Amino acid sequence: MTVRRITRSSTEYPPLLAQIPDPPPALWLRGDAAPGVLCGPTLALVGARACSSYGRGVARALARETAAAGAVVVSGLARGIDGEAHRGALESNGVTIAVLGCGIDRDYPSAHGELARKIIAAGGLVVSEYEPGVEPAPWRFPARNRIIAGLSRATVVVEARERSGALITADFALEDGREVMAVPGEITSGLSVGTNALLRLGATPVTCVADVLEALGLEQPIAASPAVAGDGATVLDALAAGEATVDELTRTTGLAPATVSAALTALELDGHVTSGEGAYRSTIAR
Amino acid sequence: MLARSVTYTLVGLEPQRVEVEAHLRTGETPAFSIVGLADRACQEAKHRVRSGVQSALLEWPNRNITVNLAPAALRKEGSGFDLAIALTVLAASGQIPVERLALHVCYGELALDGRIRPVSGTIAVAEGAARAGAGAVLCAAVSAPEAALAGIDARPVRHLAEAVAYLRGETEIVPVEPTEGEAPHDDGRPDLREVRGQERGRRALEIAASGGHNLLLAGPPGTGKTMLARRLPSILPPLSRSDALEVTRIHSVAGLLPPGAGLVGVPPFRAPHHGASAAAVVGGGATPRPGEVSLAHRGVLLLDELPEFPRPVLEALRQPLEDGLVSVARVGGRAVFPARFRLVGTMNLCPCGGRGDPRLDCTCTAARVASYRDKVSRALIDRFDLVVAMPRPRAEELAAPDGEESAAVRRRVVAAAERLAGPSPARVPAASELLDRAVERLPLSGRGRARVARVSRTIAALAGSVDVLPEHVAEALSYRGPVEVGAT
Repeated sequence: MTVRRITRSSTEYPPLLAQIPDPPPALWLRGDAAPGVLCGPTLALVGARACSSYGRGVARALARETAAAGAVVVSGLARGIDGEAHRGALESNGVTIAVLGCGIDRDYPSAHGELARKIIAAGGLVVSEYEPGVEPAPWRFPARNRIIAGLSRATVVVEARERSGALITADFALEDGREVMAVPGEITSGLSVGTNALLRLGATPVTCVADVLEALGLEQPIAASPAVAGDGATVLDALAAGEATVDELTRTTGLAPATVSAALTALELDGHVTSGEGAYRSTIAR
Repeated sequence: MLARSVTYTLVGLEPQRVEVEAHLRTGETPAFSIVGLADRACQEAKHRVRSGVQSALLEWPNRNITVNLAPAALRKEGSGFDLAIALTVLAASGQIPVERLALHVCYGELALDGRIRPVSGTIAVAEGAARAGAGAVLCAAVSAPEAALAGIDARPVRHLAEAVAYLRGETEIVPVEPTEGEAPHDDGRPDLREVRGQERGRRALEIAASGGHNLLLAGPPGTGKTMLARRLPSILPPLSRSDALEVTRIHSVAGLLPPGAGLVGVPPFRAPHHGASAAAVVGGGATPRPGEVSLAHRGVLLLDELPEFPRPVLEALRQPLEDGLVSVARVGGRAVFPARFRLVGTMNLCPCGGRGDPRLDCTCTAARVASYRDKVSRALIDRFDLVVAMPRPRAEELAAPDGEESAAVRRRVVAAAERLAGPSPARVPAASELLDRAVERLPLSGRGRARVARVSRTIAALAGSVDVLPEHVAEALSYRGPVEVGAT
């Protein structure tokens, strides 16, 4: 494992990060990738740790599709949305960057130690302004968020409560003059209060992957996934009305539960739907 | 003045021959002692036997009486020796013919008024007697139908006086016919008809019943997980005769057979509370007794609120799940109990129960959720072939008409189970391809892959298909479970 340190005077120091009001004097990098990946079409994907299955699915799908189009997904390796963002990017073999609020040798949170190793193995980096050995502490996380925002061309908030760390990231991004985007959520859900407030303040709503790619100046790759037909199409059409359980789909489509289950698995393998807590939702608007 | 008779005691489920010897000595102070490693209940037989003999208006020999239970090294427990002791003492005092007593195996407890009470494990004792070639078994009237299942003359006796009259040749006792108590399946057990909606849960239940898979139902409280699980026995195929005998034996030894019942024809259902100890669930004790896993043999073991069970209890389940038996080793020896059961578990998705319910907000911290899931080891979760998330049904589902009734589902299950007993269906190449792709794209372990392959065979059998088609694999993949319970 390679550990490097790049200082502000280095030519490898990411220029985007150098522009923020309070850039870190040095960055510690863990991983074999060249520091140049920090200067790619970077996209911050952040959100709540205790997220809903909706947020989980959206974060993963956005990360997967944008990474497939060449975006570098930046996030904080936290539980919830952050973890899904990294995983989504890894699903399409994309480069993803985890910014920590502790030393880069720390597995924090410990449950994501394996995820960090996968990120490095896929050509990504684990980044921190703190030297190895520094313990995680609550006051270091807002400072970490300033690096996530500073490294990224655009910041997407997927789910956030009224007072969420993800909103701090969005504030930093605004200060830095970067694009801030938010995924709309149900107005009845506490997990959407923060993101909907951002939208009200003028953040760009994310309605599809193309919205994000446009902000990054990337082209959507020609859809490689096979066309959906037959029972799969019927199920996908039924999911256009919103998330649904197998039982609800059985009733709306009139198909047998066995058929619905089989169709959903095929759709999930092709990345058209995600599942969580017993409900399925479409990753694409139809 | 010596007499001898034969009876049996149980070590685990195995009958062990015990000879009851009675010796009457004259010229000594009248006394009555029982030797031969007899436990407390067995020692108390002295009082019951003495009162019983006097109540039957027979003469209690006023001698120094020694009763020996041989082999002396084997521990004797319980009250089943009463009848044999009483009759042997009577034979030693010349009140009944010794030769005729020797043709019978006696097993029963005496009441103080001389009536004969049933004792647990009668069928196992009768089987021991049949194997040893004994002529007949004398036992309590209510347990005679059970003893007759062993294929031996089972002669019911209600009172000690009746047994004595019979052995003297004064009356005849007609042996009972074995009742093949093929209890009707729909004897007021919960029926699937009462479950409205939950189509996916019902489907998973049908697959579990057909293929003998273990099933885990996960979801917020009040979604009908337990209700569904309790209806699994109603769609299982009836027990074969050899299975039924095995189940009857275990339940008889545990003292759970209702009086007068014959063969247990329906698969048993056991649902121990999560406060149960490891010994109660897997079996054990100073003298090994069958636990809940053995009582659920050939039936269903429901562990409601799986994570609430203590970890040692859950870990102890791994041997029976793997081997289909429980082996209890004790200083005094080893007992093996069969324990081949379908395991059904239910759990919430988080400790507060709000997760997965769109109308509730889960208030659990990530650490609490993680520790909740850690209560059930990955190794145990891996034993569940089918993991199903149970969503909260909408109001309109609850207003829906009754579901399909158990009898109809059972017909499909029986047909599928018969097909699975034959040559196992093979995957067509496209189905194998799909499985390989799933291993690549989904978090599916090697064991998970084998599980999906097993379930897809069952689904193919349910569909009446000779081959396992891609759609069968796809459906099987959908039961690999929500990541929320850590299933892979």
